[in-house]
Amino acid sequence: MAQHEVEISISKTGEVKVHVKNAKGKACLEYAKWLTHIIGKVKSQQATSEMYEPETKSRINLQQNLKAEDEAT
Amino acid sequence: MSTVLILTPVIIASWPAVSAAVAGAATALGFVMHKTVQETLAGVQTEEGEQNVEVELADSEVLAQSLATSQQIVLNKGDIRLVVERDARGRCKVCASGKGHSKVELKQVAEEFTQKLTQCFIYNKVMKELKGKNFQIVNEEVTQDESIRINVRRWVD
Repeated sequence: MAQHEVEISISKTGEVKVHVKNAKGKACLEYAKWLTHIIGKVKSQQATSEMYEPETKSRINLQQNLKAEDEAT
Repeated sequence: MSTVLILTPVIIASWPAVSAAVAGAATALGFVMHKTVQETLAGVQTEEGEQNVEVELADSEVLAQSLATSQQIVLNKGDIRLVVERDARGRCKVCASGKGHSKVELKQVAEEFTQKLTQCFIYNKVMKELKGKNFQIVNEEVTQDESIRINVRRWVD
């Protein structure tokens, strides 16, 4: 299970800042697309390296680690 | 951190959704809504020396099928009157009038109201959608700069 967090700030003028946290790859893009559809038009978007990370990376690493541990024992 | 989006709001809604946002903005800014709009408008004549300013919400569309042509919302605060209505092109329009106020003052009042209306509309819409997607509201606050900040989370497989 992963926890996705979203911080939404609606300014006095109605402009909206959305910060999607802990969602990687496709999930992050889906949140961005969904919130854009609800709110309006994209004025700017800043993506970080985490957004380009594959969603399954941590799970794969975890499985590999478990497998390595089994082989060692 | 994954991504940060800055979004410009677009209001496309039925009249009831706009009305709810108007009520929220009116409460926040100290305006009083009138129950019987037609009676209010019928009894009001533009007095001599009364200024009148119209401000349109640029990215707005009030869906025509849900709005009777006579529907408007009238608000009062002291001697300033605001009329919120759908214009001929379907956009939401706020008209401010009042005796003893300059056009600049009235424009400022109307613009402040449209901004608050937009903020309330987006807040209502976002909260409804978040709850529909089973997001858990972690925190909700109004900051010093009058922004509304909402923190939500969701567990996924």
